[in-house]
Amino acid sequence: MFIMDAAMHIRSSQIVSLQLLAAIAAVCTSESTHGAPDFVRDVLPIFEKHCTECHGANKQKSGYRLDIRENALKGGDSGEAAIIPHNAANSPLIRFINGDDPEMTMPPPKSGKERLTAAQISTLRAWIDAGPSWPDEFAGKQTTETQWSLKPLVKPTVPAPGGNPIDAFIRESQSRNGLSASPQADRRTLIRRVYFDLIGLPPSSEEVRAFSEDADPAAYERMVDRLLSSPRHGERWARHWFDTIHFADSHGFEHDIARDNAWRFRDYVIEALNRDTPWPRFIREQLAADFFFPEETSLTPALGFLGAGTFDLSAFGTAPVTFDYIDRDDMVTQTMAAFTSTTANCARCHAHKFDPISQEDYYALQAVFAGILKGDVTFDPSPETARERRRWEAILAAAEKRDAALLLAAEHQPVVEQWLVEHPAGATWKPLVAETFTSAEGATLSRQPEGFILASGAAPERDTYTVTATPGPHSPGITALRLDLFPHDSLPMRGPGRCGNGNLHLSEIELRVLEAGAAEGRPVKIASASADFNQTDWGIHRAIDGDIKTAWGIHPEVGKPHHAVFTLSDPLPLKADSRLAVTLKQAHGGVHLIGAFSLSTTDAPPKQAVARPAELELALRTDASARTPEQRVTIAAHALRHAASDALAKLPPPETVYAVGKSVKVPNGESAPKTFSISEPKTVNVLLRGDFDKPRAVATPGALSALSHLPARFALPDAKNEAARRAALADWLAHPENVLTWRSIVNRVWHYHFGRGISDTPNDFGKMGGTPSHPELLDWLAVWFRDDAKGSLKALHRLIVTSETFRQSSAHRPDMAGLDAGNRFLWRQNRHRLDADAFRDFTLAASGALDLTTGGPGVRFFTATKGPQGTPSLDYSAFDFKSPGAGRRSIYRFVWRSIADPLMESLDFPDLGMLAPTRSFSVSGLQALTLYNNRFVLHHSELMARRCDAETSPLPAKITNLVRIAWNRDPDSTELTEFTDFARTHGLDSLCRLLLNSNEFLFIN
Amino acid sequence: MPAYRPQDRRSFLSQIGNGFGALALSHLLSRESAAAGVNHPPKVRRIIQLFMTGGASPMDTFDYKPALEKLHGQMIGPKEKPEGFTAPAGAIMKSPFQFAQHGQCGRWVSSVFPEQAKLVDEMAFLMAMQSKTNVHGPGTYMMNSGFLLPGFPCMGAWISYALGSLADNLPTFVVLPDERGLPYNQRACFSSGFLPSVHQGTVINAALPQPVPDLFASDAYRFATRGSDTAGLSLLEKVNRRHAANHPGDSRLDARIASYELAAKMQLSAPEAFDISREPESARAAYGLDNKATQGFGRRCLLTRRLIERGVRFVQIWSGPQGAANNWDNHGNIQTELPPMAASVDKPIASLLRDLKSRGLAEDTLVIWTTEFGRTPFAQGSLGRDHNGGTFVSWLWGAGIKGGVAFGESDEIGYKAAVNKTYCYDLHATVLHLLGIDHEKLTVRQNGIDRRLTDVHGHVIKEVLA
Repeated sequence: MFIMDAAMHIRSSQIVSLQLLAAIAAVCTSESTHGAPDFVRDVLPIFEKHCTECHGANKQKSGYRLDIRENALKGGDSGEAAIIPHNAANSPLIRFINGDDPEMTMPPPKSGKERLTAAQISTLRAWIDAGPSWPDEFAGKQTTETQWSLKPLVKPTVPAPGGNPIDAFIRESQSRNGLSASPQADRRTLIRRVYFDLIGLPPSSEEVRAFSEDADPAAYERMVDRLLSSPRHGERWARHWFDTIHFADSHGFEHDIARDNAWRFRDYVIEALNRDTPWPRFIREQLAADFFFPEETSLTPALGFLGAGTFDLSAFGTAPVTFDYIDRDDMVTQTMAAFTSTTANCARCHAHKFDPISQEDYYALQAVFAGILKGDVTFDPSPETARERRRWEAILAAAEKRDAALLLAAEHQPVVEQWLVEHPAGATWKPLVAETFTSAEGATLSRQPEGFILASGAAPERDTYTVTATPGPHSPGITALRLDLFPHDSLPMRGPGRCGNGNLHLSEIELRVLEAGAAEGRPVKIASASADFNQTDWGIHRAIDGDIKTAWGIHPEVGKPHHAVFTLSDPLPLKADSRLAVTLKQAHGGVHLIGAFSLSTTDAPPKQAVARPAELELALRTDASARTPEQRVTIAAHALRHAASDALAKLPPPETVYAVGKSVKVPNGESAPKTFSISEPKTVNVLLRGDFDKPRAVATPGALSALSHLPARFALPDAKNEAARRAALADWLAHPENVLTWRSIVNRVWHYHFGRGISDTPNDFGKMGGTPSHPELLDWLAVWFRDDAKGSLKALHRLIVTSETFRQSSAHRPDMAGLDAGNRFLWRQNRHRLDADAFRDFTLAASGALDLTTGGPGVRFFTATKGPQGTPSLDYSAFDFKSPGAGRRSIYRFVWRSIADPLMESLDFPDLGMLAPTRSFSVSGLQALTLYNNRFVLHHSELMARRCDAETSPLPAKITNLVRIAWNRDPDSTELTEFTDFARTHGLDSLCRLLLNSNEFLFIN
Repeated sequence: MPAYRPQDRRSFLSQIGNGFGALALSHLLSRESAAAGVNHPPKVRRIIQLFMTGGASPMDTFDYKPALEKLHGQMIGPKEKPEGFTAPAGAIMKSPFQFAQHGQCGRWVSSVFPEQAKLVDEMAFLMAMQSKTNVHGPGTYMMNSGFLLPGFPCMGAWISYALGSLADNLPTFVVLPDERGLPYNQRACFSSGFLPSVHQGTVINAALPQPVPDLFASDAYRFATRGSDTAGLSLLEKVNRRHAANHPGDSRLDARIASYELAAKMQLSAPEAFDISREPESARAAYGLDNKATQGFGRRCLLTRRLIERGVRFVQIWSGPQGAANNWDNHGNIQTELPPMAASVDKPIASLLRDLKSRGLAEDTLVIWTTEFGRTPFAQGSLGRDHNGGTFVSWLWGAGIKGGVAFGESDEIGYKAAVNKTYCYDLHATVLHLLGIDHEKLTVRQNGIDRRLTDVHGHVIKEVLA
C-alpha cells in the first residue's frame, strides 16, 4: 500500500526503465535462450547452497571453485573441464551431482550434506545445455576493469565546452536518447525549490516577491550564495548526513538509554558544513581528529561519528565477545558505506558474494576499531585548557607512581619549596576528652585505657555516635577537629571499622558548640577536610558535603590507624564552660561503622592543620638536610599533587560528548555511569563463517584489497597505537586515488539535489548497486570536486544548483515520459514531497513559531516517565507547546532511536537502527489521519491563523496572506472565494489546517 | 540495478526498493493486491501472533522433562558463564509443576496451562526452536525480523508489504502491546525497517478510550469540530484535485488524495471496530474481562478477534512489558513468577481459539504462540531460571495447520534443541508459505543485499502443515 514516483510508469511506458533494461541486457548475454534458467535467479542460489562452502572463496577442495566463472568452467586439479558448454550430459559437474560415479558423488555422502534435488539438477542441466550463460558481472574475480566504481578516475572531456559542464553531459545523454531538457522553471518555483534544497526552509512572501521582481540575470546566483552562507544550510544538510550514518540520541536495543551528550556531534557536523570543511579533512576529523589535530581539541566531538550507531547495553554487560564483534561491525558498516558506498559488512561470514571484498579485508577493518569504546568522553574545547590539564594530569600521574625523575625535576622545585613554606610540619593536637559518648542504635561505646573509644555489642546496620566534651578556653579559637581511627583485635580484620572487611563509612560529621545557658547548640561550619587515606571514590570530602548518601571510607587499607582533619571556616573561640558536640553519622548500612576512635583539636593555622600520611608527616618533621631521597620524593609528590589538584580544580570544567575513546562512560540511565577503559587494541580474529566460536587468523588493521594502488594493510610501527589505526584508515579513505570516496560523495550530494543519485544506491557501488545513469558525468564531478573544488561541498552545491538541469521545470511532458518515464535522463526536474523534517520546519515557519536558535542539547518533544526498565516511556502527545524550544528546527529534536515521533514517522523519518541513505515515500490512510489530526498540525494551524487575525485587514486579504505563506503564491479568484466562504463558516484555523494538508504545501515543484 | 526481470509485484517492488519508482495508484486502493503477491494459493489470509515477552520457560509449560527430576540439584551445567546468561549456571532444577498428558495426541502440558491443554489436538508444536542469542534485545528482534540487529522489517511489515490490506477502512498490521509497557526494543519490534513506514505496525493501546492515535482531533482544538473536519476534508479534496489536474503525470498526488478518503473511512469504521463494549457480556466473560488476572490480555484477545473479523490482516498481541516484573523473564522464582503470567493468558487464548473456530474465522486465520527464547534447566539463584536460546517451544493453530503434532525434540534436560531443530527462519518461512508466499522470493534490495525475512536460511516445516 505505497507508491513511488509516479512519473516512472514502468508498466505502461515503452522504454520501461531504461536503466533496468540495460541491466537486464547485461545479465542475459547473447548465449541466453528464452526459457533457459537464469544464472542469477536460478543457478547461483544452487551453487551457494550446496557447493561453494567447499568450492568457493574460503575452501577449494580438489582445487575446484564455483564462485569464479573461469575456474568453474575449467575444472579443478583433475585438469578436466567441469562444465562442457551445451553438453550437460557429459559435463563432469552434472555427473558428480547426479551420483553417476559412486567414487565421485557431490556433495560427498560422508559430508552429511544434503543432495541436490532432481529439480535442481535439471535446472543445472538446462542451464548448461542452453549455454551456459554466466554474465560478466557475476564472473567472480571482479576487478577494476569490470566494476565501474573501481575503475581509475579519469576526468572525461566535457561534451560541449562553455556553460555548466553538468548541462553538457546531461544534454549529450538526452540527445542520444531522443530527449530534450525542459525550460527553466518560473521564479516562484525556483526560489521555493532552492530554499528547501539548500536550507530546508521556505522563502518568506517578501523574498518571493523581491526575487520575482528582480530583473538582474545574476539574481539567482546571488540568492544561491546567500543561502549557502546561511547558518540554516548546515542545519539542513547535516540531517542528510545523520540519515546516512544512523546517528540518533539514544542507544537502541533493549535498553534504549538516552545519550544526553550526543548533540555535540550534531553541532559539530552543522558547523563543519557551514564552515565548508573540505571533504578529506571532514573524513579525517570524524575518524581520528585526536590523531591528526591533537591541538584542536574543540574537534573532539567529530569522533561522535563512530558513536553514531546503536549500542546493545545488555549484550555489553552479559555477552561481551558477541558485543565486541557486533559493535565493531556497526562501525565498519557505517564507515565504509558512508565514505566509499561499499557494503563491506557483507563479508562478515564469507567473502562478499558480489564484490571483491574478502573476509580478511572485512576483519582488517574491524581491527581498525579494536581499540576504542563508544561512550561519553570529556574534552576541553580550549587548547590552552587542554594543555594545562594534560600537564597537571601528568604531574598527578607522576605523583601516584612516585616518579622521582619528574617529581624532583628542577622546574617543579619552586612549587615544592613554596608548599613547604606554607605547610610546615603538622600542628599539635590536643585530645578532646569525651564527657559523654553515645550510640543512637544501641551499640556499646567504651573508653579504653589507651584513651580511644571502642564500639562493641550490638552491631546495627547504621548508627550515629555523639560525643561531647569541654575543651576549656581557646582564643582566638580552635581551627580544626581531628578524628583518629585505631585498629583493634576485637574488630573484624582488626578494624578500624566494624564491617566484616574492616571498613567503615563516615557519611557526615557535624560539630556544634553549646554555650552555657543556651537552649541548643550552634552548628559550626566545616570548610574543608583531609584524610591520610581515601578509598577510591569515597573521599573525605564526602563526609562534609551535606549529602547523607555519600561517605568517606578507607578500604582496602584496613587493620591500620587512620585519621581525618576537619578545618573550620573560622577559628572557634571557646569559653571555659563552652561544650563541643561532635556527631558522626554513619548511614551507609551494612555495618559500615567506626570501631575505635578518638577526637582532638588544634589552634594551629589551617594550612598546618591537615591530615597527612604518616610517612609524609615523618618526612616533614625531619630536618631538610637529613631527608633521605625517598623522603624528598614523598614531599615533592605530596606538594605537586596538591598543586595539580588545585590547578585542575581551577580549570573550566571539561565538556562531554558521546563519541569513542579509550576511556569512556557508558550511559546506562543512571546519574553516575561507570567508566570503562581499554588499554590497547583487542585481538580481532577472522571468524569462520562469522561464528564467534570459530576464530581463525589474527586480523591486522587495513582496508579493501580491491583498490590495488592503495595499501590494503596498514604499516603501523606501533601495533598498540590505536589512534594510528583510525588515522591510517582515514588516510586511505581521503586519498586522492581512492576512486570510491570521490565518486561516493558527489553521487550522494547529487542524490539530495535531484531525489536520486547518478547511481541510485548511494551506499552501494557494488555489483548489486545501481549502475550510474551518467558515468562520465559522475567521474567528471568526482575529479572536479577533488581537484578543482578542493573538496568544497559548497562549491559542488553551487555548481549543481546553478545548472540549467537543476533549474528546469518539473512539469510533465507526455512525449518525453513516453521515452523515459523514470526521468533517468533528467528531461525535467523531479518533484519532491517534503520530507518529515522539512514539513515540520515549514509548518513552524508558516505559523510564525519557528525559533532559529542554534546548537545545544536536543529538544525533547515528548514527556518522559519512568518505564518498566532503563528506557523511559515517552508520550509525544503530551508535549507542552509552551515549553522552551517548542519552535526549534527539526534538526535539534532529541531523536529517540526506538521510540519514534509519530508525526515524523508518518512522513518517513527513517528507522535509525540502520543506515538510511535514502528516504522512502509512504502514503496511507493513517498518514492522512496523522497530518489532519496530530496536535502539532492543529496547534500550528491555530498559530498560523492567529498571525493574520492580528491584522486589521479584511478576510480575503488575510486569506491571500495565508496562501502566500503556504504556497508561495497568490490565490486565484476561485480559491479566494472558496476559502473565504469556508473561513466564514469554519474559521481561519480550519483553513490553515487545510493548507498544511494540501499537496501544494507538501510538494516542491 | 542489475539482475531480475520484474515478474510479479514483489520482484517489481524489489527493483525499486526504497528509491524512486512507479506503482499504480491501485496499490493504495486495492482491497487485496495479494493476487499479485502470492506464489501459490494461500491457506491463510489473516494472522494473530501471541508473543510472550521475556522468554517463556519450556520445561515448565509444554516441554516435559522427567530427567530433571532425577538430576535435580546436580551441578552439571557449563562451568563458565555462557554469553548472555545473567549469572553462572546453578544446579539442575526440576519443574515445580505437575505435568499430564492431554488430548488424543497425548501432549504433555503442565498445570499452568489448563485451558490450552484442552486444545492440544488442534495445535502443532515446534518443540525444538533455537535462538542465536541469550540476550533479550537481539532475541526479540530475531523472532520478529529474523535478524539480531535493529533496522530490519518485522514479519508483520513484510506481510503488509507483500500482500497489502484486506480492508481499506482499518490498518493492515496492528500491534497490541501490554498496557503496562512496551517489549524489549520498544517500538523497533514493530518497525518497517527499510520498507516504507506505511508497513509498520499500528500500535494500539487497547486500554485507552480512543485507541487509534490521531483518529480524530483532540477536543482541545475547538475549531476542529466534526463539522469543520468534514467540510475541510471535502474542500481539501477539491483543492488537491485541482492541483493534481495542474500537475499531471504524478500519481503520488492522486494517492495522497485517495489517502484522505481512506482516512475518512477509518474514522467511520474504527470506533466501532475498537469498541469492545459492544461485545455481549458472555463474550466478555469468556475472554476473562471480568477477572483482574486475565482482563488485560483478554481485552487484547477480544479486540483482536473483532479486528481480524473486520479485515485486519496481522495482529500481534504481547504478553508482558520489558523489565523485571510482569513478564515471562522469570529469573527469581519460577514457582511464584510463572503461574500468574500463565494464568493471565491461558483462558483468553483458549477463548480466542474457540471463538475463531465458531465464527468460521479459523478457515483462513493462523494463530502463533511464541516467545524470544527459552530458559535454563539450571537454576538461577536457587529457584529461578536464566535466559536460554538453546531450545524453546512455539505452537501454531488454525488454517493450514495439522493439529496434534509436535515437531522437534530438545535434549534430555531441555538445555539445547536436539532433533529437528527450527529457527525463526523456519517459522517465518512456514508462515509465508501458508500465505502463499515463497520466502526466498520475497526480497527487497537494501544496501547491496537482497534482504529477506528469512535472511539466507529457512525451510518450510511441512510436518506441521495439514
